[in-house]
Amino acid sequence: MTGPDAATATPAVGTPVATEKTDAATHGLGVSLPPTDALAKAQGTYPYAADLWAEGLLWAAVLRSPHPHARIVSVDTTEAAAMPGVRAVVTHDDVPGDATHGRRVADRPVFAGDTVRHHGEAIAAIAADHPDTARLAAAAIQVEYEVLEPVTDPERAFSAEPLHPDGNLIRHIPLRFGDPDAVGEVVVEGLYRVGRQDPAPIGAEAGLAVPRPDGGVELYVASTDPHTDRDLAAACFGLEPDRVKVVVTGVPGAMGDREDSGVQIPLGLLALKTGCPVKFVATREESFLSHSHRHPTLLRYRHHADAEGRLVKVEAQVLLDAGAYADTSSDALAAAVAFAAGPYVVPHVFVEGWAVRTNNPPSGHVRGEGAMQVCAAYEGQMDKLAAKLGLDPAEIRMRNVMATGDLLPTGQSVTCPAPVGELLKAVRDADLPPLPVDDDESQWLLPGGPEGAGEPGAVRRGVGYALGMVHMLGAEGTDEVSTATVRIHDGQATVICAAVETGQGFTTLARQIVQEVLGVEEVRVLPSDTDQPPAGASARGRHTWVSGGAVERAAKMVRTQLLQPLAAKFGMSVELLTIADGKITSYDGVLSTTVEEELAGKELWATAQCRPHPTDELDDTGQGDAFVGLAFCAVRAVVDVDIELGSVRVVEMAVAQDVGRVLNPRQLAVRIEAGVTQGVGMALMEDLRAPRGIVKRPTLTGYSLPTALDAPDVRIVKLVEERDVVAPFGAKAVSAVPVVVSPAAVAAAVRAATGRPVSRLPIRPQHAVAKPQQV
Amino acid sequence: MSTYARQTAQARNVALPSSLEEAVAALAAMPTAVPVAGGTDLMASVNAGLLRPAGLVGLGRINETRGWQYADGAALLGAGLTHARMGRPDFAALIPALAAAARAAGPPQIRNAGTLGGNIVTAAPTGDALPVLAALEASVLLAGPQGNRELPVSHLLTGMDPLRPGELLAYVRVPLLHAPQTFLKATGRTGPGRATASVALVLDPARRGVRCAVGAVAPVPLRPLEAERWVASLIDWDGQRTLAPEACTAFGEYVAGACIPDPLPGEDGTPAPELPPAAIQLRRTVAALARRALGRALA
Ligand SMILES: Cc1cc2nc3c(=O)[nH]c(=O)nc-3n(C[C@H](O)[C@H](O)[C@H](O)COP(=O)(O)OP(=O)(O)OC[C@H]3O[C@@H](n4cnc5c(N)ncnc54)[C@H](O)[C@@H]3O)c2cc1C
Repeated sequence: MTGPDAATATPAVGTPVATEKTDAATHGLGVSLPPTDALAKAQGTYPYAADLWAEGLLWAAVLRSPHPHARIVSVDTTEAAAMPGVRAVVTHDDVPGDATHGRRVADRPVFAGDTVRHHGEAIAAIAADHPDTARLAAAAIQVEYEVLEPVTDPERAFSAEPLHPDGNLIRHIPLRFGDPDAVGEVVVEGLYRVGRQDPAPIGAEAGLAVPRPDGGVELYVASTDPHTDRDLAAACFGLEPDRVKVVVTGVPGAMGDREDSGVQIPLGLLALKTGCPVKFVATREESFLSHSHRHPTLLRYRHHADAEGRLVKVEAQVLLDAGAYADTSSDALAAAVAFAAGPYVVPHVFVEGWAVRTNNPPSGHVRGEGAMQVCAAYEGQMDKLAAKLGLDPAEIRMRNVMATGDLLPTGQSVTCPAPVGELLKAVRDADLPPLPVDDDESQWLLPGGPEGAGEPGAVRRGVGYALGMVHMLGAEGTDEVSTATVRIHDGQATVICAAVETGQGFTTLARQIVQEVLGVEEVRVLPSDTDQPPAGASARGRHTWVSGGAVERAAKMVRTQLLQPLAAKFGMSVELLTIADGKITSYDGVLSTTVEEELAGKELWATAQCRPHPTDELDDTGQGDAFVGLAFCAVRAVVDVDIELGSVRVVEMAVAQDVGRVLNPRQLAVRIEAGVTQGVGMALMEDLRAPRGIVKRPTLTGYSLPTALDAPDVRIVKLVEERDVVAPFGAKAVSAVPVVVSPAAVAAAVRAATGRPVSRLPIRPQHAVAKPQQV
Repeated sequence: MSTYARQTAQARNVALPSSLEEAVAALAAMPTAVPVAGGTDLMASVNAGLLRPAGLVGLGRINETRGWQYADGAALLGAGLTHARMGRPDFAALIPALAAAARAAGPPQIRNAGTLGGNIVTAAPTGDALPVLAALEASVLLAGPQGNRELPVSHLLTGMDPLRPGELLAYVRVPLLHAPQTFLKATGRTGPGRATASVALVLDPARRGVRCAVGAVAPVPLRPLEAERWVASLIDWDGQRTLAPEACTAFGEYVAGACIPDPLPGEDGTPAPELPPAAIQLRRTVAALARRALGRALA
């Protein structure tokens, strides 16, 4: 798919792009255009996948393994199939096409065949005329298991019997950068552990499959990557991709890839087998058991520095627990290894990174994957170095910050803006939140909450800093491309693009771009499906870049088509014409007409692609230009800790972020607040426990998420708008990097408050208690 | 091809009595039915597929158990009192520790629906009302087809004397002590959460007693009776009722040690194993809570 439009997206040169908006502006780039679906979502009328309905539909249920590791001796479905109301049962033997699928490697069976590799793995699916019948029938399937010892310690995966024909080592990256014999005057070591964060989408997985008369099937699902999901599903159905259509329905929350293939493949099989529409809505428990989590990670670090605190060498071992299947673990590992030293200048870096298979719950793409875990570790190390050298934690970071032109340990030169020092300075110099006044303790929200047991005398305040980075778009040679079509008619515009609106705000941005370029206010963005050209996944900040870029190009092509005849008529170039508020005017004010008049009932269409410059795979020493762009963030956390109970309240998170350009101020602030809150969840409470591979309490009572009371005040102290020249509009993706940095900042602040090492996330109360004399 | 539509609720056997008497009769008529008050515990079990009631007797329309009345120096609390109602200032003036527990029981939506009766009958280790009722030595009044009976709340909670088929929890009798009471709950987070440990402590000046119960560390609330007696003996009941901070600290340790005891040495003489780190943390938490609870009650 190369062509004139598929070249590297370059910034708009010589085109009229309004930068700063006046207060009066209500549309276009730079204004806080509200999303069109906000009211419906707030009022509960917005339809999500779980609300789907079709006449005569059947209900699906999935039988899942109670064991993390077992051999399946036999599966007997006769009793279940004979139950009244049951219309179809499908198992491993009923998959007509590929028996396995996966986003990078096809290593995950649709249904477990002879081996179960994680608790909750699907074994069979049922379609019945009532959801209860389907569930009861699923429970009536008789499976004989030979229970096997689960491998749940990732360090044991190396020596354990292979859990999968592909072996237990999913990827190993030995990164070598600089001189292995370099030594510093001071050395600090640390061991860090990061737990299993669940994306916990507020709407559990759901979908509807509708068979088509031509033998194909339509899948109505909350997919975040419809074309990939279609291709995976079609391969398993044994159908050509064009016989399968994925229609994206309301997405109730996505923190990464929604694990929809586990829903849509069984659903599609059941619809094809019964010839009826089939609906599935996962229970909360199933949702926790089946979708991918953030990689639990074990990190060992050794930092060398000189006597002034300048980093000399970083040595690290990073072990990602991928769970039973590869999924996107190799991507997470690449990020973990490449960013293992953080946004600092380090002349010598040596990292061993592994992603290994275990019988733990599956890991996959959750935003900031890989980058978040290493940030917790390298920032812990920076605090250790500061303590050892008697330096202020902000000061030691300031002495090492990276800037544009510096090298990553992968040998890639940082060509985009990297205002790391400026970000750190902004959070360091921001005013601290005031301490609560002594005489009004009732107004003081103590750790433990308003009705908690907190006691002011036992509360210590701590301040901590963290810096971090994340890459934007897929890395290591992923073909990142998106296609968009823009149509203008009757003074309105329509955008057709398969980029999925997951709540991240893509449709709002697309409307703003078209408003900006074509000067029309009414812009509609059509829902996504796989009849449209592919736009890729809604992840890694892609759509702002590639789909936003494609929308802009298409809109500009329409603009040229619209203005060319006028320009020719008046003998001036298109650049000298301006469109705003539906009016076309020339630079000298002589010409003035309206878009509607100029269209004269015609429709103008244009389709364009955006494909950023290609990247390389990391080689066998972890070297290569693997990333298209980087985004940076600095966070200062202020926490209150009840040092007797170990309860922590995050009082404030001050954020300074490298955003390239602000395209929608309110949306941007909301994305940062959401990212910080997810990071605070990771820091303090989110960890899906799975002792011996069995997921414990997979419910929203057992798995705590931050509520309004847990969420800190998020104070955006600075947005650095240094445009990234290779990115459309110069804008950087904003959602992931606060997730990456916030947990490390909270850990640093708890360290400061308690004097404890805090090397595990989430921070449990027992790791935040301190003896009063220690403080 | 596909449209959005709502699922229609399925008709079930549902009774909505408007008095206790009718409720007992409805339950007798439908022996397989399950009573439901706020539904905040029951519906979670239904949704999780743990319970499939053949019928429901809704208690929400029984007005007589939604408030309280006074009877011989005690309050007779209706089983249908919601946490939200118990958290209000008028109730807090009456039984401060129960009001504090009610304010701490879950998020506002749950407190608006969840009831005292449901909390007791569910008897979860983390039920926040339970340690308070244990410390208050409350009793429960049950209404059943064979008539009414009253028993100590602890007998119900421990299963010593469980609810009989067809019986409903009607009222809870709580002595009015007219003295400070506290309820403290540790959750490990700032937002609403289940207790990792809780301590209820009430002063009973008339009987010169301190009564304390620890919740969430065992299946039922625990009463550290020796610690209670010891600390009551230190208090100058006729004077200021103050204690030195060291005494409060010692009380905390005493309570924590009693509720999370040291492991016993093996019968064959092997030395006792060390307390696991989680138990040490729990003990530390209970000690801090009990010390703070006593300190606040005496302040
Ligand atoms: C999100 C959430 C958070 C929660 N947080 C807390 C918390 O922090 N602390 C806490 O203590 N609890 C908490 N709970 C649990 C619950 O809200 C309380 O236990 C509540 O008091 C239950 O009351 P209910 O009226 O909803 O009971 P229901 O669910 O209606 O009933 C519970 C059980 O009691 C029986 N029952 C109810 N009333 C009677 C009666 N009068 N006679 C006989 N049987 C009866 C029912 O048959 C059922 O078996 C939480 C629940 C949820 C869902």
